[in-house]
Amino acid sequence: MALTGDLTTFSFADILQVLAKDKKSGVLLVEWKDMIVAYYVKDGEVIFARPVDKVFRVYTDRNFDQLISKLRIRKEDIHKTIERFFLPRLDQKEGIFSFTPGFIKYDSEVPVRYSVEELIMRASRSLTEDEVERKISDELLIFEKAPDVNEKVSRVNLTEEEKKVLSLVNGSRTVAEIRKESGLDRLTVDRALYGLLAAGIIRRKRKERVQKPSITLDLLAKIIEKIKQL
Amino acid sequence: MKELKKIKIVVAGPFAAGKTQFINTVSEIKTVATERKTSGASEKNVKDYTTVAMDFGKIRIDEEHELYLFGTPGQSRFDFMWEILGEGALGIIVLVDSTDPKTFHEARKIINFFQSRFPVPIVVGANKQDLPNAWSPEDVMFALDISEEEGIPVIPLSAKDKEQVKKVLLTLLEVIRYSLEGS
Repeated sequence: MALTGDLTTFSFADILQVLAKDKKSGVLLVEWKDMIVAYYVKDGEVIFARPVDKVFRVYTDRNFDQLISKLRIRKEDIHKTIERFFLPRLDQKEGIFSFTPGFIKYDSEVPVRYSVEELIMRASRSLTEDEVERKISDELLIFEKAPDVNEKVSRVNLTEEEKKVLSLVNGSRTVAEIRKESGLDRLTVDRALYGLLAAGIIRRKRKERVQKPSITLDLLAKIIEKIKQL
Repeated sequence: MKELKKIKIVVAGPFAAGKTQFINTVSEIKTVATERKTSGASEKNVKDYTTVAMDFGKIRIDEEHELYLFGTPGQSRFDFMWEILGEGALGIIVLVDSTDPKTFHEARKIINFFQSRFPVPIVVGANKQDLPNAWSPEDVMFALDISEEEGIPVIPLSAKDKEQVKKVLLTLLEVIRYSLEGS
């Protein structure tokens, strides 16, 4: 099933989050104003980028090793395509994306210079106030560190500000408290929280349900039976 | 005449997620709708009429009880209605248009809203699965930042399909049962 959308309303941090969580493999095509770029994704990591003049060309080269050989790119240099065609575009908002899973065959391991967590954090650093509000919508939200926080953090170069924000996430501080205690400006804190959340380094703290359903089990069973019979 | 006891389930979700259709599909009465012509240019591109107060449909359970399905207006400028409708709800169904990722963040905000004010069971319906370009329920779940720990099932559906709408309702009721048995 393809994933399509518009970068103005669904940012790179959001797309990468979805690709990373499911460790997807495939090709992410982005139609920028000036060019179309194909980003090759393997197990949730963006490993290679190339501009294409015609989209169908992406689908004709299905073997990755043969493709980079044809393009005369050495495996140890493929990260340079990310530096050229991906990193400088993380702050560009106008583009249509489409991710198609599968169809690229990898015969061998591919080195990953920029982990997906690193790319998500970089993408979050250019989010606008309106964009961060999409995830950090309520100052009463509470986050906690993910169980594998250390492993994830080891794959990212966090800024000093991001490290500070992360240190304040403890499962009880609200967003408002983190903003206040960090001493940082609000947008920097919210960008950090957005990136850390999208990268899976932190997660929403689950609210303990306190409101007991106001219904008996017998009545609930009746409702279930009624719905089944509709 | 004895007054029937009302049981309430709220059907929430972003603009054009299919809430009115969802209620229409299972309601035993013709849905009581409060629709007006859409006003914003971007909204007009999506549909001509939208819910401005609430929709409701109902299902008679027995001689004493009726199940009400209340649909909230989708635009966040009507969020005061979410507060009113959420009060006393047995559970919340949040519908998402699976073909429109720009509404996913709005859906998450709605979940946050109800979680913080009315901590009752929630189920997400990944609607419009019959359309091309629909995101899979798993991808909708990832995009909405729903973790397993949150205990919010994401169920694929087309709100036009009665069996699929019933499945979403039954899933919510099972989550409520689980919650009751655990308390």
